[in-house]
Amino acid sequence: MRIGVYICHCGLNIAATLDVEELRRFAETLPNVVVARDIQFTCSDAGQNTIKSDIAELKLDAVVVAACSPRLHEPTFRRTITEAGLNQYMLEMANIREQCSWVHMDSPALATQKAKDLIAMAVAKAALLRPLETESVPVSRDVLVIGGGVAGISAALDLANAGLRVYLVERRPTIGGYMALLTDVFPTNDCSICVLAPKMAEVYANPMIKLMTYSEILAIEGTVGHFRVTGVTKPRYVDPTLCKGCINECSGACPVEVPNEYDFGLGKRKAIYMAIPQSVPLVACIDTDACIGCGLCAEACPADAVKYDQQSEEFKLDVGAIIVATGWQPFDASRKEEYGFGRYRDVVTTLQIERMLNAAGPTRGEIVRPSTGEIARSIAFIQCVGSRDHTVGNPYCSRICCMASLKNAQLIKERYPDADVAIHYIDIRAGGEGYEEFYLRAQRLGINFIRGRVSSVEEGDDGLYVHYEDTLLGKTLMKRYDLVVLSIGLEANRDAEVVGNLLGLSRRPDRFFEIAHPKMRPVEAHIDGVFIAGCASGPKEIQVSIAQGSAAASKAMQLLFKGEIELDPTVAFVDREKCIGCKLCVDTCPSRAISVKDTAFVDEARCKGCGTCAAACPVDAIEMRLFSDEQILAQIRAATAVKGEYPFIVGFLCNWCSYAGADLAGTSRIQYPTNIRIIRVMCAGRVDPSFVLEAFRRGADGVLVAGCRIGECHYVSGNLHALQRVEVLRGLLREIGIDPRRLKVAWCAASEGDVLARKIQEFVEELRDLGPVGTELAAALPSGKV
Amino acid sequence: MSDAAFREEVVRLAGDEIRTCIQCGTCSSSCSTAHLMDNSIRKLIRLVLEGRRREALASESIWLCTSCLLCTVRCPRGIRPKAVVSALRQICEREGISSRDASFERIFMDQIRSKGRISEVLLSAAYALRNPDAAVPIMEMGIELLSRGKVSLDPGTVKGMDEIERIFRELGND
Ligand code: SF4
Ligand code: SF4
Ligand code: SF4
Ligand code: SF4
Repeated sequence: MRIGVYICHCGLNIAATLDVEELRRFAETLPNVVVARDIQFTCSDAGQNTIKSDIAELKLDAVVVAACSPRLHEPTFRRTITEAGLNQYMLEMANIREQCSWVHMDSPALATQKAKDLIAMAVAKAALLRPLETESVPVSRDVLVIGGGVAGISAALDLANAGLRVYLVERRPTIGGYMALLTDVFPTNDCSICVLAPKMAEVYANPMIKLMTYSEILAIEGTVGHFRVTGVTKPRYVDPTLCKGCINECSGACPVEVPNEYDFGLGKRKAIYMAIPQSVPLVACIDTDACIGCGLCAEACPADAVKYDQQSEEFKLDVGAIIVATGWQPFDASRKEEYGFGRYRDVVTTLQIERMLNAAGPTRGEIVRPSTGEIARSIAFIQCVGSRDHTVGNPYCSRICCMASLKNAQLIKERYPDADVAIHYIDIRAGGEGYEEFYLRAQRLGINFIRGRVSSVEEGDDGLYVHYEDTLLGKTLMKRYDLVVLSIGLEANRDAEVVGNLLGLSRRPDRFFEIAHPKMRPVEAHIDGVFIAGCASGPKEIQVSIAQGSAAASKAMQLLFKGEIELDPTVAFVDREKCIGCKLCVDTCPSRAISVKDTAFVDEARCKGCGTCAAACPVDAIEMRLFSDEQILAQIRAATAVKGEYPFIVGFLCNWCSYAGADLAGTSRIQYPTNIRIIRVMCAGRVDPSFVLEAFRRGADGVLVAGCRIGECHYVSGNLHALQRVEVLRGLLREIGIDPRRLKVAWCAASEGDVLARKIQEFVEELRDLGPVGTELAAALPSGKV
Repeated sequence: MSDAAFREEVVRLAGDEIRTCIQCGTCSSSCSTAHLMDNSIRKLIRLVLEGRRREALASESIWLCTSCLLCTVRCPRGIRPKAVVSALRQICEREGISSRDASFERIFMDQIRSKGRISEVLLSAAYALRNPDAAVPIMEMGIELLSRGKVSLDPGTVKGMDEIERIFRELGND
């Protein structure tokens, strides 16, 4: 192995504190090093050219750049060496700026010693680097969209318009979701179906979209680029190619009436029915639970479209990405018994009032008391039913129900100016563009806002009695209404659980699907190639669902447009000789990349390279292609070779948070003691017990394991595994006579350079109190035996 | 006791969740005696969280709670408002603060001691005499109940009055 070492002055950033010339001379003495140079600015063209010509002339196999953080210039130097013909992974950086010159400005001698260690560690690792090939695999450019609500529609259209083939799978006989059932929508009060129907028609007409309604997903296998999906289309008993959508003929003949689920039980429909007049596709459907098999509809149908012998059809798809837009389900209001829904006919839900207000709905737009059919003259909206409520297990705010009630109250007030309309609320949540103005408008219309959550609703002879405390007046009151509307919350769709389980999606405590990062990655799932849009990841208004549909579509496009994806080669692999098939790794992997059949197998397309599995494997059968065990052990040995300081700490810092935090401490010039030698790992979960033990065996006084703050791990749960392992290790250390306090964990965000610096400072002090490693051993043994 | 210390003690006794009260009033409007209370149970929680010790402890509501627990069953934050009442009662007892309505308890006990049971009518009447503002609704209800034969004027005396007397003595209540 022939290694070149390049020590950067970074102008005076490094050279003012560290003795660069001494570092260079030291580097020359290291094994495998054939050349060591110091360069003013290594990242400049001149600097890069020096490296390139050395690679050519001196036939270097690997390069070590001692300069700034690899998080800054690793990509630069990888490019440099590739241009000179080396494999990009034959590079290692020693971070002597952020971790040395900038944080130890007052101790140049100790800092120079630390820099020597860092360079020695980098050279030791470089000697063990192997070229890694980035593999490109062809992928399917087709996308599966699950769920034909407004989010799914928006995703499907964007993808199709960009030229990608889309399979849109919807469980119900029509697309459109809940939006298709609403009356006017806030904050503009435009007619919901009027703006949605053209989009639904576009989906139907677009040749790039294959629409599969009345269909369900049964199985999903494979990974990003190649998901193999199996599904089934249920029989409608109506031939879609023949049905003209006239519906009155067949349903007029049908003798069976059942409550219409698309009116939320307010109206009735026949056993052969069309979900909504604007159904897409415009094809009738027979509800087999209701049908009595009389055959009248087949006789009535002028197109001979009714086919009682229709069978369910299985389909198989091969898609590159999947967009989950499975939506939500309404809270079951009868669970709040004190409000009487299901017992009192005049207690209805938001969805029912939407249907009543809808001109095409069961009451043709009139607000009536279901018990009498008369127009309701006083109407109460009760907010937060099934939301913000621990007693039903939904502590979250459903976000849209305040606005929905404001809107429905306005519509009622506009239609019936004399009606007494009140909204019983805890807080009015109107945070959105134009929302507060919308609230203002409702107030101006004379809607009564009563601050206080309703405790119960009782039916009397002449109407419904609502009990509440007007908390602003401080009075407990009771008020009579003709009609009570329960503002029901949004819940995670239970029917989507199957898809979630097939894909391995994780759920938040509120049961909605979890996205990869609550802020930065709003439409990505933890699983590569899977995106989540709309209410599947939590309650959202229509406009946000549409935006998320588009966002998910654009993410899928980025992924699949080229028709191939590059697989990151820095993944895990299994030594099948060693693997005992214990399956311990399977559950540790946050990306669900490992499966076990006799022996474990890592799906390289899924693996994100965190290394948690490698640390978990009890027989060391899992290895990482980069950050391998032997590379890290070599770094530990190089770090502890001299031990020029007491106390001496070996630190393992995760790339994403704690290492980034250390970088920030550097750029912020936060000074901390020189006693630590930092080894970069991708995840705190990568830290194998053997690393810690090796560090102690080689005389480290303390070992620090640092990762992202709990709950913020880049790989979701790596730091939890790290924590667990540290606990076990501490027990082990106690057993072998090492004070467990010598092993410290620290969680810090990338923004918390000060936290990290303080932790290091504290650790140094604690270790000073404990004395050098082995002190406790000496104290435990009878004197003279050490 | 300082106001802050008072708040912390109630929080400790009644549970940390009370800090999360959103003042929605579900508890107070569920409360069977809310109409008799000076401070609703919701407001009581606010007083506690504000550390308004004197006002909270002087509140008659503390003594009117019937422990029906509807507040606790319904609170959307999982708070136990009844536990706040208990905590305040406990602090009152320790500090020797008693309710104006201790009279009620006294009348109650006297009747038990003399007849072994209570007479709703006599109890209410005796109570109404001492608390004129509560008298009107009580009388209205009493007349209604009497006319329907739901209550009687003389409840009679239970058997085994000596047993009752013994219980009183054992409780150190002569
Ligand atoms: S066969 Fe079924 S759907 Fe057709 S008319 Fe009869 S009951 Fe209605
Ligand atoms: S949006 Fe309004 S009604 Fe809906 S849960 Fe939130 S606060 Fe309650
Ligand atoms: S645990 Fe991490 S390194 Fe191991 S297979 Fe999963 S993603 Fe890859
Ligand atoms: S019901 Fe609960 S949250 Fe609402 S005011 Fe009472 S204690 Fe507070």
